[in-house]
Amino acid sequence: MPAWITALIAPFIVLNVVIGLVTYVTLLERKFAARMQSRIGPYRVGPHGLLQPIADAVKLMMKEDVVPTAADKTVYNLAPIVFLIPCMLIFATIPFAPGLGVADLNIGILFFLAVSSMEIVGLFMAGWGSNNKYALLSAMRAVNQIISYDLPFIFSALVPVMLAGSLKLSDIAAAQAGGAWFILYPVIGQLAFIAFMVSTLAAENRVPFDILEAESELVAGFRVEYSGMKFALIQLGEYAHIIGSSFLGSVLFLGAWAGPGPEYLGPLWMLLKAMFLFLVLTWIRWSFVRIRVDQILTLSWKFLMPATLMLLVATSFVVVWRAGGF
Amino acid sequence: MDSNGIGRSRPSSDTSPLFVIRAVAKAMWVTLFNLFRKPVTVHYPDKERAYPDRYRGLLALVYEPDTGEEACIGCRLCEFVCPPAVIKVEMLKSEKRNYAKTFSLELYACEFCELCVQVCPTDAIVMMKSFDLATADRREMLLDKDRLHAIGLQHQVSWATGNKLRDMQGPPKMARAEHGAPAAPAPAGAPAAKTAGGEA
Repeated sequence: MPAWITALIAPFIVLNVVIGLVTYVTLLERKFAARMQSRIGPYRVGPHGLLQPIADAVKLMMKEDVVPTAADKTVYNLAPIVFLIPCMLIFATIPFAPGLGVADLNIGILFFLAVSSMEIVGLFMAGWGSNNKYALLSAMRAVNQIISYDLPFIFSALVPVMLAGSLKLSDIAAAQAGGAWFILYPVIGQLAFIAFMVSTLAAENRVPFDILEAESELVAGFRVEYSGMKFALIQLGEYAHIIGSSFLGSVLFLGAWAGPGPEYLGPLWMLLKAMFLFLVLTWIRWSFVRIRVDQILTLSWKFLMPATLMLLVATSFVVVWRAGGF
Repeated sequence: MDSNGIGRSRPSSDTSPLFVIRAVAKAMWVTLFNLFRKPVTVHYPDKERAYPDRYRGLLALVYEPDTGEEACIGCRLCEFVCPPAVIKVEMLKSEKRNYAKTFSLELYACEFCELCVQVCPTDAIVMMKSFDLATADRREMLLDKDRLHAIGLQHQVSWATGNKLRDMQGPPKMARAEHGAPAAPAPAGAPAAKTAGGEA
């Protein structure tokens, strides 16, 4: 098969799998959240609510597409797509198994980190184009928060990079072969993992860092004016981003496709690990209340930033020491 | 944006790392514990919970259990006592006993206070163990006599009827008979006995 056909087919498959996954992850989250509150969750649509995501999607497609009169129409209509593209692009570099991925770049993790923070462009476009005070305030908060948490996110993701000695995601995964997962690396691994999870939560604007969607003050935040399919695109982007970060976390810390059984089960293990991380994020979401804006920024700049920076320096010392550099 | 530390503006909150870690662990434990508990949800249309004995649900008219006649004598007590005045009764005079010629109940305005059940001398109007009132047409909730009788056969009757409630709420019958006897020599006694005499 010529290379250009593969280059066309692979993204198509990955995109569709990701969209299907994201659709059903909403059901997973709703079921999981319901059980944490001693409820059952979606149950009526299909057996045990299995068709609920499809019903939701159909409902959103049927909805009237409302554009506010005072909105900046170009920006308003473009925003969901600009928001969605980076959230989908992050899946490009993730290797789901040895050699199974769209593009295993040499700078894979750099690409991921760069593209994943591009979502604030779409987010701010949504907030600005809506011409709504709540949307604008919420978008400003989001930009504020995402910029603050980008550095801890990058620093904590760089710890496995330094331990593996490569920016290529498949190399990082290969460095953890044989059960030497980076989360099991003494002290450094656990600290980096906790920092990674906290900054992932903040970068996804999830509880307890979800100040941009405060019902009492900002209604629905930056997506208050969106309805129907545009709302669905934004929602899809948010969940895709969370799933993408979960996949990244499982590559960086949980040994990617490593697991018992034959090699062709690799993608399954990868998926299970990513879902596990997603459920941990959901678990945190349903356990805490949101914290204030100043507390969020304080946690980032005064605590997480110096801590991850120190961790990075400590990791470099460890790496050099292990290599016999002293 | 003020540059306070976490929670510094609230003097009462503890910000020591141990406290924060313990609080985080406790919150995560609560949700994890609930995750593995059985859900409390009852699948309502498939399964119904048991109703309490004195459930105040749909209103209905019943027949006399021994003769099979309509129990309602059309005395209009329920019409007079009804706070939102949703009950309308017309009496039908007859030689042995009276009947209700018409009996209408506007269920959409009913406040389910149970007063009509409490005053009914013949236990004719009762409440059902059912809250199945939803309908697509408001007019279906204007219940006439036949409809009320039909509802009475459809669902389970709640415990409370007029006579049972009056027996329960009034003073015990035996005690009332004894109460009259010691009241007679009371006026010569202490002030406490005076109030007892006043009651009698």
